[in-house]
Amino acid sequence: MNFQVHRSSETIEVLLSGRLEFTDHDSLPDLVDLLNNEGTRRFILDMDGLTFIDSAGIGMLLILQDEAEQRNIKLILRKLQGDVLRSIDLARIGEVVAIER
Amino acid sequence: MDGFPACSLPGPAGALRPFSVVRDRVPAEIAARVAARFGVSEAAAGVGDALDVRAAAAVLLAQADRDILRGAFGLNRFLTVELTEREEGTGAIDADWLGAPPVERGFYLSLTTGTAYGLQCAVLVCDELTRRGVLTPERRGNVELCLHEAIANAIVHGNLGIPSATKEQPEGYRLFSRLLRERLGDGAVRQRRIDIFARWTADSLSIAVVDQGNGFDAAALPQDTDSGAHSGRGFVFMRALARRIHVTDGGRCTLLQFDL
Repeated sequence: MNFQVHRSSETIEVLLSGRLEFTDHDSLPDLVDLLNNEGTRRFILDMDGLTFIDSAGIGMLLILQDEAEQRNIKLILRKLQGDVLRSIDLARIGEVVAIER
Repeated sequence: MDGFPACSLPGPAGALRPFSVVRDRVPAEIAARVAARFGVSEAAAGVGDALDVRAAAAVLLAQADRDILRGAFGLNRFLTVELTEREEGTGAIDADWLGAPPVERGFYLSLTTGTAYGLQCAVLVCDELTRRGVLTPERRGNVELCLHEAIANAIVHGNLGIPSATKEQPEGYRLFSRLLRERLGDGAVRQRRIDIFARWTADSLSIAVVDQGNGFDAAALPQDTDSGAHSGRGFVFMRALARRIHVTDGGRCTLLQFDL
């Protein structure tokens, strides 16, 4: 998985690409560190470029959700499609994470 | 179970199979055993550069990467085995993979954990199933996700021995990453095997994934996972998408079955 970061005043948008899976755990601390940016209110994960996510990847999204919540930041998943949408739906994480369809 | 002998293959928990060698050539003893097991000439099976031999029933690889594996699959052999570096040919060569029965509609792939990690094995196996006309694009997505989850479990929780619950504790993800790095840096752990055994009929596909870890109690698996939990969804996915999932051998073998 690769990611690019776009920052505006209160929003951090992260464009994910490739596959988010169990071998990507080393990237998670870097994503969590982005939440420490002062003044951030919204943290958007744009998943348009993501082609695959496994159960470990979904676990990483939920860790990000917990970390964001602890900082009063709203995490939003955006542009889910294909196999990524299937996995997210199967995992039913829409109950705890905001998803923009 | 469709007579899946691969599920009875693993050795003692945590032990390396008495496998053999090799960097630049396959030892004569292994070649002889392959020849005897699969009924091909020793000359054909005893290959240094396995990919150049067209008559062998088995492809034995000293090292494997994505391109080498695709090349090995392209030979349409039943058995593709990555050999380990240990034992240097002096140990007992009584490898379990020699017991895997050759079947016309199937293949057997045995990789070390160090190679399997990061290789996207499920993609490779599904590419090969597609190439052999087994998987259609419509079926592939679900099969690939299930197989990926079974392989990820076999690598992370099986051979690397990292408990799923690690991620549930505060900052557990940092501990999880550290454990991954530590275990992957252990040569003995890297050489534990991941075996994948696929076979099919006209209307059904079965894939067994076997590891050499300590196993787990499959009966204790929850049927569902809390929507906020950081782990435990792999089996939820497999149960939802496969026709049947069966865990045997004390948790070291996951058998997935799909309709075709």
